Amino acid sequence: MISNQARKEIDIWVAKYPEGKKSSAVMQALTIVQKENGGNLTNELILAVADYLEMPAISVQEVATFYENYNDKPVGKHVIRFCHNISCMLNGSDELISYLEEKLGVKTGEISKDGLVSVKRVECLGACVGAPMCQIGDQYYENLTEKSIDEILDGLK
Amino acid sequence: MADIEIEIDGKVVHGYSGETVISIADREGIDIPRFCYHKKLSVAANCRMCLVDIEGNPKPQPACSTPSSAGMKVHTKNEKAKTAQKAVMEFLLINHPLDCPICDQGGECELQDVAMEYGSDISRFTEGKRIVDDKGIGALIQTDMTRCIHCTRCVRFGAEVGGIVEMGATGRGEDLKIEPFLSEGIQSELSGNMIDVCPVGALTSKPFRYEVRSWQMNSIQTIARHDLVGSNIFTQTHKSKVKRVVARENESINETWISDRDRFSYQGLDSENRVLIPKLKIKGEWKDASWSDALDFAKNGIKKNAKEGLKFGTLASKNATLEELYLLQKFTRGLGSDNLDYRLDTSNPCNAKVLESNISLTELETIDHALIVNSYLRLEQPMINHRIRKATLNGASISTINAKAFNFNYRISHSVLTSPQNTVATLSGVLKAVLDKSSQTSPDYLKNVTVHQTHIDIANALLNAEHPVVVLGEHVNGNRSSDQVSKLVSEIAKATDAKTLNASLTGNAHSAERVNFKPENGKNALQILSSDLTGFILFDVYPNFDCIESKNAIEHLSRDDAFVVSMNSFADESVLSFANVILPIASFYETSGTHINVDNIAQSYSASVKSAGESKPGWKVIKVLADLLNLEGFDFTDSPQIADEALSLTPSISEIEVPISNSEMPSITTVWQYTPYASDVVVRHASSLQQTRIGRMSEASVCKATAKLLKLSEGDFYKGVPVNINESVAEGCVFVHTHLPRQLGAV
Amino acid sequence: MDKENPSSLVTYENMGGYKVWRKILHGELSPEKILEELKTSGLRGRGGAGFPTGLKWSFMPRNQKGQKYVVCNSDEGEPGTCHDRDILRFNPHSVIEGMAIAGYVMNATVGYNYIRGEFMEPYYRFEEALKEAYDAGLLGTNINGSKVCFDLYSHLGAGAYICGEETALLESLEGKKGQPRFKPPFPANVGLYGKPTTINNTESFASVPDILSRGGQWFADLGVTNSGGTKCFSVTGNVKNPANFEVSMGTPFSDLLKLAGGLRKGRTLKGVIPGGSSTPLIPAAKAMKMTMDYDSIEKAGSMLGAGSVIVMDDTTCMVKALTRLTHFYYDESCGQCTPCREGTGWMYRVLKRIMDGKGKSEDLELLLSVQDKMLGNTICALADGAAMPVESFITHFREEFEYYIKHGKSMVKNDG
Repeated sequence: MISNQARKEIDIWVAKYPEGKKSSAVMQALTIVQKENGGNLTNELILAVADYLEMPAISVQEVATFYENYNDKPVGKHVIRFCHNISCMLNGSDELISYLEEKLGVKTGEISKDGLVSVKRVECLGACVGAPMCQIGDQYYENLTEKSIDEILDGLK
Repeated sequence: MADIEIEIDGKVVHGYSGETVISIADREGIDIPRFCYHKKLSVAANCRMCLVDIEGNPKPQPACSTPSSAGMKVHTKNEKAKTAQKAVMEFLLINHPLDCPICDQGGECELQDVAMEYGSDISRFTEGKRIVDDKGIGALIQTDMTRCIHCTRCVRFGAEVGGIVEMGATGRGEDLKIEPFLSEGIQSELSGNMIDVCPVGALTSKPFRYEVRSWQMNSIQTIARHDLVGSNIFTQTHKSKVKRVVARENESINETWISDRDRFSYQGLDSENRVLIPKLKIKGEWKDASWSDALDFAKNGIKKNAKEGLKFGTLASKNATLEELYLLQKFTRGLGSDNLDYRLDTSNPCNAKVLESNISLTELETIDHALIVNSYLRLEQPMINHRIRKATLNGASISTINAKAFNFNYRISHSVLTSPQNTVATLSGVLKAVLDKSSQTSPDYLKNVTVHQTHIDIANALLNAEHPVVVLGEHVNGNRSSDQVSKLVSEIAKATDAKTLNASLTGNAHSAERVNFKPENGKNALQILSSDLTGFILFDVYPNFDCIESKNAIEHLSRDDAFVVSMNSFADESVLSFANVILPIASFYETSGTHINVDNIAQSYSASVKSAGESKPGWKVIKVLADLLNLEGFDFTDSPQIADEALSLTPSISEIEVPISNSEMPSITTVWQYTPYASDVVVRHASSLQQTRIGRMSEASVCKATAKLLKLSEGDFYKGVPVNINESVAEGCVFVHTHLPRQLGAV
Repeated sequence: MDKENPSSLVTYENMGGYKVWRKILHGELSPEKILEELKTSGLRGRGGAGFPTGLKWSFMPRNQKGQKYVVCNSDEGEPGTCHDRDILRFNPHSVIEGMAIAGYVMNATVGYNYIRGEFMEPYYRFEEALKEAYDAGLLGTNINGSKVCFDLYSHLGAGAYICGEETALLESLEGKKGQPRFKPPFPANVGLYGKPTTINNTESFASVPDILSRGGQWFADLGVTNSGGTKCFSVTGNVKNPANFEVSMGTPFSDLLKLAGGLRKGRTLKGVIPGGSSTPLIPAAKAMKMTMDYDSIEKAGSMLGAGSVIVMDDTTCMVKALTRLTHFYYDESCGQCTPCREGTGWMYRVLKRIMDGKGKSEDLELLLSVQDKMLGNTICALADGAAMPVESFITHFREEFEYYIKHGKSMVKNDG
């Protein structure tokens, strides 16, 4: 269930914590296996992580459902996480999200027909001086405009 | 001793420094509302219902998590406290369905009770209420999670008491949901306690669902009879039926918990397999009969076949009451027979010294090492296992010597897998290691014993412990060298200053031992079922399940010249096949009686309901039959008189010396263990327990090497039980864990 | 300064970095002296609660046997706040040095920097800096034969605002849900893995090396009474040039607004949230009179919090703004305490209903009552953070809410 590559990556995290405290690596382990699985978690993956880190499955499930960045359903290849919180809202994030939805033909929470993109409204991502902003993968995109959104979308493959 | 003084609502009270405010208030009888707090669970402080005003604090503080300090002034009912409590109550109720009329918790709901005092008549919440999907968690617990108030008592119970983390709180915020990972069902043998700790109707008893309202029932104090703890319970009855069983607090016995077996077995009482009227077999045909005809028939048959007792034998269930066992042995001995036994599942029912238990249940929590021999303690004796688990939470380590690696709910430090035929050698190894390490002289019988590293590890663990205990479990009963195993366990304990706990004497076996329900010079269970006796009384015995050589037993009892009086609470095919008369007797909760537990505490109880159909309490049936046979000393008018007489006597069977030797053993043996829900006739008929994962368990585990010798492969059946080949079993044996009858008898 | 690579070790050392740490490694600086300087500096926790850092460090049982931990809270997520991100990106070594010093003072040999899961760029920068520090022999066991030990690791979150609460952060670091723990016991006694632990915010740690190299008094003098030193403010919202500004404590708000380019053309100031979304809103007139320090902001009716200044001009619909903030708390409540779990959703639903044109006249009193019942009744301050904006928005802009309820639409023209 968990690839050797993923195990290696998880082990790097496990090594950061004291003996017997493997469960500290659970968040990263879930992040790693979710990424490998194309963006979402499954019950099987949760069980596999529980097994690998010697945790009760329900405890892993608690973590997987508590934190925002885990998805229990499939998502687009790229997830555009658009901040709609106060500083971004004051700078027009709502209008830009509408623009994005219209352009992609999807609502937030949906996946584009080609499976390439899904859009998610998220709370503050901590880049308020660059409002409005969004996150795609590891990357933040700040001071967004309709034009820059067009460019970003063009760059997604 | 209490060392500080604080003030609660103007009353000066005493507590220990650091003790929580709620704990002091509870002791003083000062009522503080609460939902998440439970004195046996860790503090969560999340429901916020117990907010109180503590002088000097700007904000109200939770009484459950606030440590007291000298001079603290607490107000639980002033305006500040009440305002906070009422605020929390309003929040709790906004999403709680107001379906009390159809909720099984209605009438015994903590939320309902507190809401009466702190709630408001009109809800200001006009948005849609939350509805939560139910995953379902198995046959025992009904979930209705829309009613859940997220107190997390059930979650903490699983993690802290049950020892299996099954329920969790997933999601966050409003979407927080109490649920298990998958809906396959809860696996804990203590799961029903979650019903008791749930303050609302989110977790209720599934078998009890919609049966009757709680206030329509009578609660009767009684004792659970399935294991050697004798947990204190209430049977809750309605129209002379037991509708529910709940825990009754007794700190020194079962604290506030009971096992699922004790909680849900009552369902068996209602089984359609109950025998409700006396029956006679005339010319091979069963006919219903009146009590007087049946008793007459029994009397005449016994008179004719007992031959002054020489040809008479009695077998009884280890779950019978002290009174029943006492009268039955008096009856048997009165007839001039010494052929009697309760050790039906024992392959070596000799009169070797019975291993004594000399540690109390509460003391078990203070041990720092336990060596568990021949036992899957968690399923055999859930409440004893729970005490040991508590000790492990305080750092105790555990070793095991078992035929299989079991799924304990604590870590096992040293484990030796050993087949029944090698158990004497293994224990000898441990004993020798102990004696060597502690510079004690070894007796001759240890001369040629090989000591392995694992034996040394266990010896060290025992010797290094300050309060060790050795526990002997029920697998020993099927071992032909059980006398030697007991002796070695006792020697190991002696040499390591360890206490001992004999968990092989389950059910009410302590009562049977107390009244000498075994032969001094007469025939034991195996001999009764294989010699030329012609008159028998079987008291709640179902040879199909209960007798170790079940096939032989049934054949023997079916002989033409055998006259069998069966006093039964349940009908059973094998009993019908060999018995000549069936006298229906009252089952659990239908008769008064006494149970003697592992701490040697005799707990008497009265009947909770009247016995089913025309069945009668066993002691009355035995007494009347004795009177009919003109036996003396049966002038009892109630069961306490019998108990008094029984308890005034002391066991007097002389014990035989046990030499340690290489006894003949087959090269491959079987360990046969019933699931906890097949351990006696009542629980075998409890339908909900049978549907649980524990109840459905049926597996003959065998390692590859042994499977090869037995020519077994995956998918085969061994004695009627599906084979599972895995390496958790000792070589040379098959470990059968099942709910099925012993179809082919033990090897 | 190496503008190409501001986060590098070379740049940091050229600016005087690791001077204090090296002194410690040479045995030239005692824990007592460090605590004294910190107390003199008046440094208060930059994460929001404003607890004096020196005092916090002195709570640690440094002589107690066993493992102790230092944890950095880089789980920046308070709406309006983004200066820790920049510290991690551009000055990660200051955090490393600050944490190492803390470890030395408190006899804690292991540190973790909890970085929010979305901060991947800052995380990579911090990891690079860590590697540089290790390679340069500044971290590890018995560093340069000094007998001083300090190992530092980063930990990544996965999206939960509540993990910025220090005990929730510890739970999360242990691999659990981020649910705050009740106190007492405090982390200084029972912290990470049950061991004594001190948690400080990124900016707090980053301030420590400078304070110790230039002296506590120097830092204190930069600020005003009760608010020592400089502070990094994130100025966001309706300003021309939103940015982070490190200014002296006590700087007038109006000056800070000017630094951010002031309001956009033709706009007037309506209100300011001075310390991040959890702090009460201050109406324009009061805001223009306040200075940026703990006492002055408190006098104006709010809190300095994380120094996250959210500026709202006259185009802002206060109903919409509050609904958005309330949604945030509704979304981020961990769910364990009843008032927060139930109250955040209740308030959000009422506001949402008002926004949908279905408001009722009694809704405002209901909102005020609900927020009041949440306030102070929970384990952590998230419920307070959810409550205070409701109270302040409705109090200061009541007519806007009444208008919305009555007309089913905003009284602010520019708002859709």
